Amino acid sequence: MNNIKKLLFVLPLVAAAMTGCKKEYLETQPTDNVSAETVFTTTQGAYVALNGTYRTQFTSYNAGNFGQKSFDLVNDLMGNDMVVHTAGYGWFNTDYNYTAGASAASTQRSDRVWWHYYRVINNANRIIDGVKRATGTDAEKQDLKGQALGLRAHSYFNLINWFQHTYKGNENKPGVPLYTEPTTEGKPRGTVQQVYTQIIADLTEAETLLTGKTRAHISNINVNVIQGLRARVALQMEDYATAATYAVKARTGFALMNSTALVGGLSSKTNTEWIWGMEVNTEQATIYNSFFSHMDVATGGYAALGGQKKITKALYDRIPDADARKAWFTAPAAATSSRPAYNQLKFRVPTVGSWAADYLFMRSSEMYLIEAEALARTGNEAGARTALEAVVKRSNPLYTAALFTGSALVNEILTQRRIELWGEGFSYFDIKRLKQGLNRPSGTGNHGSPSFDPRVFTLADQDASFLFRIPQDELNNNKALTPNDQNP
Amino acid sequence: MMLGLLLVCLQVVAQNRTLSGRVTDAQGNGVPNASVNVKGTNVGTTTNADGTFSLSVAPSAKALVISSVGMTESEVAIGGKTNFTVQLTTDTKQLDEVVVTVPYGQVKKTAFTGSEATIGSRNLERQQVTSVTRALEGQIPGLITTNGGGQPGSNASVLVRGVGSYSASSSPLYVLDGVPYNGSISSLSTDDIASVTVLKDASAAALYGSRAANGVIMITTKKGKKGRASVTANVRIGQMSRLIPEYDRVGTPDYYELMWEATRNRFAASKNPATGANYTAAEAATAASGMFTGSSGLVYNAYNVPGAQLIDNNTGKLNPNAKLLWQDNWEKALIQNAMRQDYNVNIAGGAEKSDYFLSFGHVNEDGIAKFSGYKRFTTRLNVNTQATNWLKAGVNFDGALGNQKTVPSGGTATTNPFYYSRMMGPIYPVYQRDAWGVYVIDPVTNQPALDWGRPAQMGTRPYAGNSNLLGSLALDDRNTATSNINANSYLEAAFLKNFTFKTTLGATHYNGYATTFQNSQYGDADNVKGRSTKSNNRQTTYTFNQVLTWAKELGDHDVRVLAGHENYRFQQNFVSATRVGFPFPGTSELAPAATAEASTSYENLHAIEGYFANANYNYKGKYLLSGSYRKDGTSRFSEDSRWGDFWSVGAGWRLKQENFLRSIKWINDLKLRASYGQQGNESIGDYYAYQSLYALGWNNVSSPGAIVSTLPANQLHWENNTTANIGVDFSLFDRLQGTVEVFNRVSKDMLFDVPLPLSTGISSRRDNVGSLYNRGIELQLGYNVIRKKNFDWRIDLNGTHFVNKITKLSQKEIIDGTKKLMVGKSLYDFWIREYAGVDPQTGDALYYRDELDAAGLPTGKRVTVNNINNGSYYYHGSSLPLFNGGLTNSVRYRNLEASVLLTFSYGGKFYDGNYASLMHPGSYGTAWHTDILKRWQKPGDITDVPRIQNALATQNGVSTRYLFDGSWMNIKNVTIAYNLPKTLASRVGMSNAKVFANADNAYFFSKRKGMDPQRAVNGTADWTYIPYRTITMGLTVNL
Repeated sequence: MNNIKKLLFVLPLVAAAMTGCKKEYLETQPTDNVSAETVFTTTQGAYVALNGTYRTQFTSYNAGNFGQKSFDLVNDLMGNDMVVHTAGYGWFNTDYNYTAGASAASTQRSDRVWWHYYRVINNANRIIDGVKRATGTDAEKQDLKGQALGLRAHSYFNLINWFQHTYKGNENKPGVPLYTEPTTEGKPRGTVQQVYTQIIADLTEAETLLTGKTRAHISNINVNVIQGLRARVALQMEDYATAATYAVKARTGFALMNSTALVGGLSSKTNTEWIWGMEVNTEQATIYNSFFSHMDVATGGYAALGGQKKITKALYDRIPDADARKAWFTAPAAATSSRPAYNQLKFRVPTVGSWAADYLFMRSSEMYLIEAEALARTGNEAGARTALEAVVKRSNPLYTAALFTGSALVNEILTQRRIELWGEGFSYFDIKRLKQGLNRPSGTGNHGSPSFDPRVFTLADQDASFLFRIPQDELNNNKALTPNDQNP
Repeated sequence: MMLGLLLVCLQVVAQNRTLSGRVTDAQGNGVPNASVNVKGTNVGTTTNADGTFSLSVAPSAKALVISSVGMTESEVAIGGKTNFTVQLTTDTKQLDEVVVTVPYGQVKKTAFTGSEATIGSRNLERQQVTSVTRALEGQIPGLITTNGGGQPGSNASVLVRGVGSYSASSSPLYVLDGVPYNGSISSLSTDDIASVTVLKDASAAALYGSRAANGVIMITTKKGKKGRASVTANVRIGQMSRLIPEYDRVGTPDYYELMWEATRNRFAASKNPATGANYTAAEAATAASGMFTGSSGLVYNAYNVPGAQLIDNNTGKLNPNAKLLWQDNWEKALIQNAMRQDYNVNIAGGAEKSDYFLSFGHVNEDGIAKFSGYKRFTTRLNVNTQATNWLKAGVNFDGALGNQKTVPSGGTATTNPFYYSRMMGPIYPVYQRDAWGVYVIDPVTNQPALDWGRPAQMGTRPYAGNSNLLGSLALDDRNTATSNINANSYLEAAFLKNFTFKTTLGATHYNGYATTFQNSQYGDADNVKGRSTKSNNRQTTYTFNQVLTWAKELGDHDVRVLAGHENYRFQQNFVSATRVGFPFPGTSELAPAATAEASTSYENLHAIEGYFANANYNYKGKYLLSGSYRKDGTSRFSEDSRWGDFWSVGAGWRLKQENFLRSIKWINDLKLRASYGQQGNESIGDYYAYQSLYALGWNNVSSPGAIVSTLPANQLHWENNTTANIGVDFSLFDRLQGTVEVFNRVSKDMLFDVPLPLSTGISSRRDNVGSLYNRGIELQLGYNVIRKKNFDWRIDLNGTHFVNKITKLSQKEIIDGTKKLMVGKSLYDFWIREYAGVDPQTGDALYYRDELDAAGLPTGKRVTVNNINNGSYYYHGSSLPLFNGGLTNSVRYRNLEASVLLTFSYGGKFYDGNYASLMHPGSYGTAWHTDILKRWQKPGDITDVPRIQNALATQNGVSTRYLFDGSWMNIKNVTIAYNLPKTLASRVGMSNAKVFANADNAYFFSKRKGMDPQRAVNGTADWTYIPYRTITMGLTVNL
């Protein structure tokens, strides 16, 4: 009897134990991740992947790497016209003195540039691939694919300019590995020509796909952005006719800002000139690890901690007093310890005490300047002057380009380009494109003591220092590359 | 009348007699901790360290019952005697009953075929540590413990028998009172722990097969004993101070001279814009003097002469007329000696059918970094009851409330006080000074104002401008309030003949509520008026198992078989929110803050289910056999590959039981054992290792966004760990006990984050690739040097040697930081550039480079280059030790006990990145190691420290220049204790009283001052919380 009682007690438990759990017990799903399959079920899901890819353009890895604008800053710091005040926290100083790109080590500059753009490319390739399977309208699929192609072209254009000399004359030099679909297998470097061929193919297809589409947000690539990229690429390739045509197409509908908006107008997407930019709100701002931290003293960020960015005295002195753009920089007479002479005031957060400040990627002034340069180089000097004056007269009504002809006109356009686009990420690529080498003016107000000493003042065109090294992690893990594929 | 009263009193006293005596073993040595009870009552005591006792008994007492673990029980009649000498004999039958805690039960030590090592409460109570993980160092062969820094309330990390995994966790599985435990280890009071058992081989651990690949650490808490209730109270007060001293760094005068030299050398190496040619030596000296204390140099001039006159341009020496205006010490400002308090009371006892253990504890540690510390309240209740003659039940319940106040440590954030105080140049003051070097008084507080390194004060300090950690850490708040509740309950029923069914439910609830507040007045968040993040991390785990056991003795055959089922489920819920804009100081709560910055929440789930069976057989207690099997499924792997099979077999032979050894007196015991089996590991990634995922939260303004995060890995399956173990246990000459074991632990199908080319846009994919082994030998010896009535001396020594070697990889090589993985190498072989010293002519740092032939292959010849980026990489040995272990000396003289635990690790390299940072070529504002005084200065100088020159980036970096021998020795623990004589103790109403003093981490020896080679197994430095020394005075009282 007693045993029966015990058995009655124990057996159900034993039975329950031996049958185990239901199969679903071992099926768990994350909540802060979603399966790749779910993402590409519909075009709406694919837009989530697209927006995630845009977000990578303004998230931060550390205080020296926060997407596109960090590399734009490197672009200026490796050029002729931007001076670092003092060592400060040192984040971009190794770019300024040309030592960062010489290191292939993990997490260093070349590694981060490489990783950033290839991550965008991989995500874009997955969107291009995934959209085929997604349900949704054709218009949405075209829009998604067009934007992804635009992101891919933009990334390859940046990569090829960081890791190789300019297009012209280097067409057969090693390029960067080209991927047009998701993969885990590394590819060889190919040639510069192959990279440009792919960029043009992507932009051409994207232009077709995006024509007639309305974008949801200024961060999204629309047909104007594609055309603007096409103009940039053509200028780099010295295909001036295409550059001029596409610059005009790109800027259509994006009126130049007025002279009041000039001062302080480069941190808000509401600026009429902006063709492409990222909106950065308080939640998504990367705080100290951001462009404005390194540029605007008022944020209390790295600029305020000794890393003020200054224009060279040499270039500052070329801005006439009547030009409203002179207010982009602290006049020597108005200098303070936190805002030293020539300190930049061009990029300022809209509200001091808030990190919300938008990132500019492309604006119509650049397109006017591309048009002007392209026309001047192809003999249409009248057209070039008109385009140039459209930009400069806005800030200096007294300006006229009438006196410039021939190479003087081209040089004037390039000077105005350096002033107008100072701090927007063009200096270094322009030096490479124009094959002028590095020529940094020195002495008080310019590069070097008493400001932070970059040690490097001049470099001949096509100097090996103009090439970032291929990241060691890429060489280690890409079976298609050998140590001989490293840049010199 | 008075006399009468006195007589009555005396009469009363006389009625209760005091008995005293001594309990000895067969050799006449005192037996400590033997229990002496009055027969048939709860009246009793335990013997002192020397075996003596004294006991007050009622006149009715007839006999004493004396017993001790491993001895035969003895009963003596009291009669008229008041002094007794009782000799106990070793009971071989009782010795059998020394049990080892194993998965799902206990087994007689003598019948055990696996490899284990146990440390008991006696060993634990010597060490005043908050987390039991910090007490294991050097106590158990086969273990490597690394400190990971000394943040109060943090754990040491433990590796069992080498490193068996790469991408997956190599940590052992923790088991608390028989149930796998993933709550907070530092929430367990060490006073509540009866023993810690480490299971090292397959036979020992196979029943936890699923997660036992890297060993099992079983923590068993105390339980009450039948008989008299005992009350124990512990009070310990200690002082904590930094264990690793600060690196030697140059002082202010040297610093200015050196910085001037680095500046001059920079000018000398560049073009003078005024002349168009390189600076001459004189021009460079003048230029250096002109700027090196200026706004783009050091900014601060701590002397009373102008910067341009501070250094003699000809000699490079400090102006003899210069007077120092200030000298502050950041280390003293931020690091302190701190107090540690530890209180614990426990009550243990039991009646015929039930036993209980109840404890309360409190620990309060102020950290050695100011503004850090740890507080903890613990309670525990362990109850077991024999409800009916066939049904037994019990619960172990513990709860802890903790608060860990942290300062940022590890990494190079300028909010990390260890980084900050080490790297700050010596010339920068803590407190603001005026031009005459006089303190500036803060008008608000009327105290000396802190210097924040801002333009409005003394200038933008080039090192960590706009910061003063003494000021900001005081206003900031970084803490985690934890609650940890754990309940293990079981029900055990005996039924039919020889059957037992036991079901155990273990549930753990952990909650960590964290605040990270940056104040609104100074530092990183002053521009947004303060930033606060509140997060809550809630983790609930339950493990539920059911085990059916059949055990039977059939003559000489002893059989025990069990089968069971277990499921495990872990749930984590995390939520956090950040706001900025605090209108008033003094609170970190989000309510007053104006603007939301970010918020998120997520949930994680992890489940494992397993079936297992185990059989043990022994014949005459002489021949032992055991086998086990377990099948586990995990939610980390896909349906197709989630189940893994684990098993083990073990055999033992007790040679001493054989007739041919029985007669050999000097061999007290001898046993051979061997085991072989396979265990698993699944702990890779964030619970969903096989799934192809997009990471959410990459939102673009108000549009939701996601990017690809992991690639599909449907075939991903369990990592296998196959261990072979052979051991011999011996006890000789009545005084030497030991164990020698050899093991071969082979990891196969290793869980791997296989690196992909960066250009594929995703850094790795998961796969089972690669194999490695850990082969080694372990030795544990205990020797009773002296065993006399009043004097004992015992030496315990343990040591381990093992080799870690990769035998298969997915690709030719994997470079991981300073290491390169290749077949034939270990997981931790350094792969860095090789320093070739200094060019005596130029002072350049030189590095070796392989000469390459036309095909790009090394010719075997080497050249030296002065650009580190062009140096070749080479292997330079492993960070893993050749040999490590511990040595304990325990001495007792009468009632005085003393012991010293020495731990050591020999061999293994250490890359000291902290030292490297202190050897920069001339960064304005950053401190320098005194070794920089040996720098090259002029052609012909022979030295191994290169020229200093600002921003000379291509000559400095990771190389053998900063790779050192990582051997170390630690005086881990020194204990002196005095047991009050029983007679004295009982006079104040106590059965035992002990006063003691401990020194934990008493002194640490390493090859270089400042270096902490114990930090991590990979042999690299970080700016971690410095481990500390604790000197404790304590008192233990038993009622």
